[in-house]
Amino acid sequence: MAAETNRPTYTVDAIPSDITNSVFLGNPALDNVMSCIIAMSAEMWATKRRMKVIESLLAKKGVTQDMIESYVPTAAETKEWEKERDRFISLAMGPLANDGFRSISATFPKR
Amino acid sequence: MIGRRKLFGATAGALVMSQTLQSEGVAAAAKLAPLTGPTKSYLPRGVDGRIARLASLQLESQQDFTLGFRLMHSKALRASSAAAFARVLEREGIDPQTPLSPEEVGKLVDTEPTINIASKAWLANQQVTWKTLRDHFHDNADYYLSEMEEADKSGPGTLELAPTMDVPTYARHEIHIQPGGYVGDPFAGHIYHYGTNSFYISVIGHNEQDQVHKSTAARMPLPEDGKVKRILDMGCGIGQMTVALKERFPDAEVWGIDVGGPMVRYGHMRARRLGVDVNFAQRLAEVSGFPDNYFDMVTSYIVHHELPAEITRKVIAEAHRVTRPGGVYYPVDFNSGGTKSPARMMYSRWYDHRWNNEVWSLEYHSINFTNEIAARGFQVVKNAKPALPGFGVRHTVKV
Repeated sequence: MAAETNRPTYTVDAIPSDITNSVFLGNPALDNVMSCIIAMSAEMWATKRRMKVIESLLAKKGVTQDMIESYVPTAAETKEWEKERDRFISLAMGPLANDGFRSISATFPKR
Repeated sequence: MIGRRKLFGATAGALVMSQTLQSEGVAAAAKLAPLTGPTKSYLPRGVDGRIARLASLQLESQQDFTLGFRLMHSKALRASSAAAFARVLEREGIDPQTPLSPEEVGKLVDTEPTINIASKAWLANQQVTWKTLRDHFHDNADYYLSEMEEADKSGPGTLELAPTMDVPTYARHEIHIQPGGYVGDPFAGHIYHYGTNSFYISVIGHNEQDQVHKSTAARMPLPEDGKVKRILDMGCGIGQMTVALKERFPDAEVWGIDVGGPMVRYGHMRARRLGVDVNFAQRLAEVSGFPDNYFDMVTSYIVHHELPAEITRKVIAEAHRVTRPGGVYYPVDFNSGGTKSPARMMYSRWYDHRWNNEVWSLEYHSINFTNEIAARGFQVVKNAKPALPGFGVRHTVKV
């Protein structure tokens, strides 16, 4: 908990499940990737939902959906957003380009 | 029949309850220190009928996702899994209606990726539900503990906790892979309440306003003499059924007992906020502590599939002792499925048992729950109506 406490909690030790030891997809790495995808999707939806709240509040203040849709970024904004886009894609998608072919037990290559 | 896996939808929020919760929330926030901790939250965010809104938009949205995912899973992923299952059975030359044991089903599906992606995705989604809720309540532990401590001391209703109880091993499992289970996390009640909202959505419908519990309580049969002065809800959890019963029978003395201290603690706080006078106690269902023949109605809500068969028998015996002659005993739970079922049904049941950590569910299905009740001094009422459609009809009367 956030702070160690002497306050009564009326709890006892639970017997943990072994869900973290399960392998559904034949390879534990794949199972882990699946967990990551679900968690990231939840975060993405939370962000999108927050955007909806923001846009809804903005609309009440006179900033409409049409204004948002038709907004033309400034040159400076365009440059900045492109940099951020490329950084995001490199981080999130870049590993697709990894060309792994060495097994874990391989020795150092000749250099 | 509604399969176990299908469980776990119009809001009819009660304006009076909403107002009670609203004023309680504001008053509570005024007395307590602001939330601190890594999770930046803003309280109160108001109420949605009978349930307080989660304290952050982020958390509420994460729960919204996991609920939506369950809905999608119940259609699209279930369909693809079913199609893959059918291909496996055809490949193996097995008639889909042939009853199989869990071991026989397990061998069929162990390496079938489409079936297992559906299973893995469901569990991963559930883990997101639990983790996001748990992190929030623990990050703001001081606030939430203070809330409960204030509620502990006052009514309406009463709360009896048993900090020195020797909690049996069978009750310590993390059912539904909920971290800490019902006994090991101080916020088990909070986590269970918000987490299980999404359990209902793809099967029965919404339950954020206790719709399922209220409708089940409304269908509970009366004793023949119509007298309902005292009611017992065994294994009450956070008391959703208990509160619904009190709301149906406002003049009755209503008790909810559960082995989980954090569960009844949260249940009492919730009932208090709803203005409902219920007695909660941390007690074992098999050792309730009530006098003989005390209750006119004894019930439980989907408890027994989470108990070993031996304990189920003891609970039935205890229910018989505390129910008065002519009183009603109606434990709501799944139909007893047997030890073998058609392949897809058995897979669903086995997977729920093994990986959703419903540790005792296969044992529950291996006995005939209705017969066990009948063997212990209760008469099963013929042609009875279901209290919860799709579940076992177990309207019984103490003779």
